[in-house]
Amino acid sequence: MVPLGQVVQLEKIEPLQGYKLRIVQEVVLALLAKQASHGYQLQARLALALGPLGGALNAGHIYVTLGRLEKADLVRARRVDQAGRPDRKVYELTAAGRERVHEWLSDTSWPKPAPAEFHLKLVAAAAAGLADPVRLIDKQRGELLVGLREAQRAALAEPAGSVAGLLLEGVVLRLQADLRWLEECARYWNAAKG
Amino acid sequence: MTVESETSVLSAQGLCKEYGKGAALVRAVQAVTLEVERGELVAVVGPSGCGKSTLLHLLGGLERPTAGSVRLGGSALERMPEAQQARIRRRDLGFVFQAFHLVDELTALENVELPALLAGASPRGARARASELLAQVGLADRASHLPSALSGGQQQRVAIARALANEPLLVLADEPTGNLDSSATTELLRLFEQLHARGQTVVVVTHDERIAATADRLISMRDGAFVDETKLAGGTARPLSAMAGLEA
Amino acid sequence: MGRLLLIYRLVVGDIKRRPVQSALLAVVIVITATTLTLGLGLRNVAQKPFAHTRAATRGPDIVIQGQPNRGARGTPARAFRPLAHATGVAAIGGPFPLAFARLTAPGIDVPVNAEGRTSTPTAVNQPLVTAGRWVRPGGVVIEQGLAGALGLHVGDRIRLRGRAFRVVGIALQTEQAFYPACTPGLVWVTPGDAGRLATPSDPLGYEVDVKLRHPSAARAFWSTAAANAFSKAASGSTISQSWEAIKSEDYRVVTIDQKALLIGSWLLALLAIASVAIVVGGRMTEQTRRVGLLKAVGATPRLVAVVLLAQNLLLALAGAAAGLLVGWLLVPSFSDPGRGLLGTPPSPTLTLVSMVEVICAAMVMAVAATLIPAARAARTSTIRALNDPARPPKRRPRLIAISSRLPVPLLLGLRLGSHRPRRTVLTTASLAIAVTMIVAAVTLQHEVDLKEQTSSQSGLFISSSIGGRVTHLVWTLGAVLVVLAGVNAIFTMWTTVIDGERPTALARVLGATPRQVSAGLTAAQLLPGLVAACIGIPAGLGLYELAGGHVATAKPPIMLLLAMVPCTLIAVAVLTYFPARAGARRSVADVLRSE
Repeated sequence: MVPLGQVVQLEKIEPLQGYKLRIVQEVVLALLAKQASHGYQLQARLALALGPLGGALNAGHIYVTLGRLEKADLVRARRVDQAGRPDRKVYELTAAGRERVHEWLSDTSWPKPAPAEFHLKLVAAAAAGLADPVRLIDKQRGELLVGLREAQRAALAEPAGSVAGLLLEGVVLRLQADLRWLEECARYWNAAKG
Repeated sequence: MTVESETSVLSAQGLCKEYGKGAALVRAVQAVTLEVERGELVAVVGPSGCGKSTLLHLLGGLERPTAGSVRLGGSALERMPEAQQARIRRRDLGFVFQAFHLVDELTALENVELPALLAGASPRGARARASELLAQVGLADRASHLPSALSGGQQQRVAIARALANEPLLVLADEPTGNLDSSATTELLRLFEQLHARGQTVVVVTHDERIAATADRLISMRDGAFVDETKLAGGTARPLSAMAGLEA
Repeated sequence: MGRLLLIYRLVVGDIKRRPVQSALLAVVIVITATTLTLGLGLRNVAQKPFAHTRAATRGPDIVIQGQPNRGARGTPARAFRPLAHATGVAAIGGPFPLAFARLTAPGIDVPVNAEGRTSTPTAVNQPLVTAGRWVRPGGVVIEQGLAGALGLHVGDRIRLRGRAFRVVGIALQTEQAFYPACTPGLVWVTPGDAGRLATPSDPLGYEVDVKLRHPSAARAFWSTAAANAFSKAASGSTISQSWEAIKSEDYRVVTIDQKALLIGSWLLALLAIASVAIVVGGRMTEQTRRVGLLKAVGATPRLVAVVLLAQNLLLALAGAAAGLLVGWLLVPSFSDPGRGLLGTPPSPTLTLVSMVEVICAAMVMAVAATLIPAARAARTSTIRALNDPARPPKRRPRLIAISSRLPVPLLLGLRLGSHRPRRTVLTTASLAIAVTMIVAAVTLQHEVDLKEQTSSQSGLFISSSIGGRVTHLVWTLGAVLVVLAGVNAIFTMWTTVIDGERPTALARVLGATPRQVSAGLTAAQLLPGLVAACIGIPAGLGLYELAGGHVATAKPPIMLLLAMVPCTLIAVAVLTYFPARAGARRSVADVLRSE
């Protein structure tokens, strides 16, 4: 929805082990909005917010991202002399960066919902007689339940009041919603079969 | 699946349950065969009215099957007189219900010690065991509360402690989260995971996906029959970060 | 019209839904109405029998019996003549010849006085023939009390001192207390027959019946000079009796009966109240819920009350009608055809008034059965009535602690029994009342048996038939009380089973066997039974003393009394066996599902 040609291009050039850089970029920008920060400070904030999901996001990711943002003129780095610190750079937002943060926060686009593709898959499978839709649903359900199990365990392992727990709760609830929808699909395709 | 293995705790073969006659005949359970291994957590899911609860009653000997057999720890439950069934229930089975079914005028502790007393344990032994179980479900500080003074989630945890009072071979749970809100369900999930980790064999009937997801094995039931079985244990999911939308 | 139809539907629907409970409520009302009918019927039994009879038979104020002085000249009539002119005497009857004889017939041998009478009526003491006709040669008329006790009827053949006679009539009198209050018994024959019954060893005696100007002066009269004149005419063996003495002897019999009946009906009333409380309380739980349901669909509290009232009135009216019928059939068996006073026999009548009284009492019961749930219905909110139908049982920590040390059936029994303490108390009370009456009956029976033994040893046929009659009455009352207490026990059991459906089902899920459960349910009733027996035994002895008996003379065997305890327990166990068994067999899955 928001034209971000430059950023998308960056992602294409250097994928970072599966993490959606767009999100990391926006978050890093937003975290710098209040005050300038060191890279390691940013990384700590992100790790706290993601909890068990932030495991793969190491300091390297942050610096690569900051580097790109600097090239795109969204942040600028200042050198600060600090004894005993490997990191001497403090990053702060440029005017363009500040504008981007505002744009991001006011953007209400929502991640693409799942049903359409699977729904069409079921319709097509039934029409072509290639596969039993009910079997497909059962398989899918198993897949989702294994995911739910993982997410739930991770959520249960979070201490009470953890901010990352909230993210996991979101994952669990979405999976639940998907599973309920699968149940409806099963009911429909079962009836269609019989 | 039809072969009874040595580690099998529960084995049901060709279970059928019919109600009524003629045009009003209802086949609540049709030719259900099920093996449950020691330490396994099996979830039976399906829409309401699919016969899940009846199946659970058959497995626990609370109802007699029209046909088929149930073996619990090697003894054939369906042919026993009720007195013997009761002894088996007392020793080898623990029940958890959707409606909790706690005795209103007994405190949490007294509810938990009830099965031990029924099984002839000494009052002192029963009390000690009950206190221990209440502590395990995190309700040591609620021991002297009446059920009416406990939240739904706490009542269900008391009910689970009661189900464990005689260290049963098998726990049968019927929609344990059916009457609970989301946060109480989370408390209960934690307890289920603990039980599972300790190696307690459990068969749970539910339509709550979160409870189903704790299972090793998931059985889908429709119109009184098993239609699908999924092994969840050992299955691999997409990474959590992908599910959370952090990865492409 | 639509509202009437609705009320009709609701009433019939509820009665059909719980047929056993409705039937038990009806049974309690039937029994109460029956006993009330009995009590009222017997109350109508002549309120002043002696006065009536005395008036009808021109009863004497003083009766003098004796033999004419050997020294006296002429006929006995002449010898007694001065008496007629004595001061204070209004009239005299007689002298009538009296012969002592034994009345014999198959199975009968009693001493009697045969009084010689002509067909001419006398001014004083003219017996009132109630059956057959008056004396004739070879024909004897028998005093009604004696005829009743011996079972003699007009036309029967008997012998007096070996001579054959035919019973030609039965008559009432007040010259002596009726048999068996006074022995020997009394028969009337012609003077000629009386003369033939006399022997040298048992010569004829004479009786003179005196009517005084002031009957209240009867006792004083005997000490006057007139009496002294008489005693000159008669020999030493004179017997005289005032009418007050006769009356008090007659009433000795009547009051024993009435006392037994009075105490019995008090006990019945208490028991009936307990029964209604139990039955009404038992229906309360479900009715509260029903009330909530009706209110939820828009019924006003008044409609709800009308439905309840209509339902209970229907049961009460049916019960009252049946009770009246049963009572009417039973009353004759309580009355005594042998009573020797006017108005006592033959059967007490049910007046319109007493019928109305019975129906009113049944109505009062129905209204009482309606008021409490209706008041509660008005009080409780619809939602509470729906959600929380049963009053949650009260928690009794000490009882719970104690019961956890007991075997499983006692544990279950104690806890189930404590759920509804008021009902348990009522059951205990009703059982205790029944035990009390039975203990009293046993004691009385024993006293009567003892007397019969001594009297048969002494060769006399004495007043055992008084004892017999009272015993019959007491045993019948005892039986009614036992039936009522039994119905209560069954009803309490039934409601305990229904109330305890969930806890017992739960106990079975947790591994209690059906036998443990039914034993527990029975134990919940046996404990009140035990308490009731322990209260009832001393209470029964106390009642016996209160009613004028003497436990010390009755000497009821201690073993027999102690046997009441196991007997009560066995009776309760037997009565509650089937409901308990049914309660322990209901499908656990059904009970838990219906939650």
